[in-house]
Amino acid sequence: MHVDFLLERFAAHADADAVIWRGQSCSYRSLLERYRYWWSRLEEQHVRPGSVVSLAADFSPNAITLLLALIERGCIVVPLTTAMAAQKPEFLETAEVEWCVQLDERDEAHWQRTGRQATHALLRRLADPGHPGLVLFSSGSTGRSKAAVHDLRGLLEKFKVPRAARRAIAFLLYDHIGGINTLFYQLSNGGCVVTVPERSPAAVLHAIATHRVDLLPTSPTFLRLILLSRAYEQYDLSSLKLVTYGTEPMPESTLRKFHERFPRVELLQTYGLSELGILRSKSRSSDSLWVRLGGEGFATRIVNGLLEVKAQSAMLGYLNAPSPFTEDGWFRTGDAVEVDGEWLRILGRRSEMINVGGEKVYPAEVESVIQEIPGVEDVVVVGEPNAITGNLVVARVKLAGGETVANFRPRLRAFCAARLPRFKIPQKVELLAESSTGERFKRIRKANP
Amino acid sequence: MKAELVEIILQLCAAQNPSLPRPVLVEQRGEAQLYGRGGPLDSLGLVSLIVEVEAAVEDRFGQSVVLADERALSQHRSPFRTVDALADYIVAMLAERSVPPTP
Repeated sequence: MHVDFLLERFAAHADADAVIWRGQSCSYRSLLERYRYWWSRLEEQHVRPGSVVSLAADFSPNAITLLLALIERGCIVVPLTTAMAAQKPEFLETAEVEWCVQLDERDEAHWQRTGRQATHALLRRLADPGHPGLVLFSSGSTGRSKAAVHDLRGLLEKFKVPRAARRAIAFLLYDHIGGINTLFYQLSNGGCVVTVPERSPAAVLHAIATHRVDLLPTSPTFLRLILLSRAYEQYDLSSLKLVTYGTEPMPESTLRKFHERFPRVELLQTYGLSELGILRSKSRSSDSLWVRLGGEGFATRIVNGLLEVKAQSAMLGYLNAPSPFTEDGWFRTGDAVEVDGEWLRILGRRSEMINVGGEKVYPAEVESVIQEIPGVEDVVVVGEPNAITGNLVVARVKLAGGETVANFRPRLRAFCAARLPRFKIPQKVELLAESSTGERFKRIRKANP
Repeated sequence: MKAELVEIILQLCAAQNPSLPRPVLVEQRGEAQLYGRGGPLDSLGLVSLIVEVEAAVEDRFGQSVVLADERALSQHRSPFRTVDALADYIVAMLAERSVPPTP
């Protein structure tokens, strides 16, 4: 019932590649067979509708089809990946997981009952009527991971509208709203999901060349890594038509450089949150940071410069935090935006904004300029309290060739002077202690240890 | 120590001058005005200078100092008005540090 529309499309594309996993192709026919296997297996295993089931896996054929079978059975799925292994015990407890399923290297499933009984009101709200659910954890870069509970019927609704089939890299993982979105988009359109052994520029570009991938959904940070690595020089990337980027503000310099390097690749900004799903979006052009957001089932409004979204596919709430919705159901994203008619430009998290003597500084804009200085390999901009101006702007940089901060500082000042107003030019420059790139390829802005 | 600090501050001012709307008149040496009452620096220029002076003091004297805090801002005579005043303020701060705690 819940996934019938997908199964129909699997049958219609039976001979097409559905997923490339570890270099091996798996057709839609094979997915259908596996789906039937898992469906009967859930019965034998006595996994009752409404059960909370964690699924530790990547996008393997069995992980995909077991997920679909669990949805059809009305279970609440908690997707986990090995990347978040350290937090697994916390996640299992927060989500009140009743069954743990782990898919091993050979894509074989191992089942374990936890002995827990899910009682959280939000989980019962799904389990009692047998609605399939999804629990997604935020990355927790700004504190504890929050567990967002979704009614999957809402999230799946938008995939019923047919769209163009693509061959897409599964860059965002199984436990991420962007990864789930990529998966269902491809499955519902007879497209193909291409998995990669690791998310390095070389591995991803190799997969694009080998499997003639036309869509790379990724983050600005990863695009910057591709440019820095120059790995693109070794691969035939002529199949690549579209790159979508989201999860963090795009530095203007990265967008421009990527567009110059790949002028025939369309660049599209996406916007999504684990709490809401992914909005449909349209970039004004490939080299523009202006984007139109919305589409069916989504409404947007700006309140005090901050974006608020109302979504039919919105989560029911958090398992471990108060509801973030306004009384009339709007979600406060916390993202500051500039508006030009129907177009928006995302400046960054209001919580990361640096107030320098009353002037607003968003780290992304400053990082974008500093990244262009020759010899800068990485940069993170943060605020630091200061008695005179309230806060000051601190740039933490990784410099090529062992250049010292003392040597770099005047270069930074001279470079920024022509490109940024004075209050945005970092007053303090330090060396970056560790890589700024997190597990989800988002820039991490935190205090140096 | 003070003479050395004056030298350090002047050097840092000279390095910053090209990016400032109004330069610090380093040829006036210790009497060169910095911030407030006709001084050339605005609050951003002052913050940048202080951050660098703090780093230089730490490099040279092995002691980390916070020059811009409530105490500095509430002084009757601002320690940021001239190069001399700033150097005196740092000398006093380092001297305070070196006094052994009373038993």
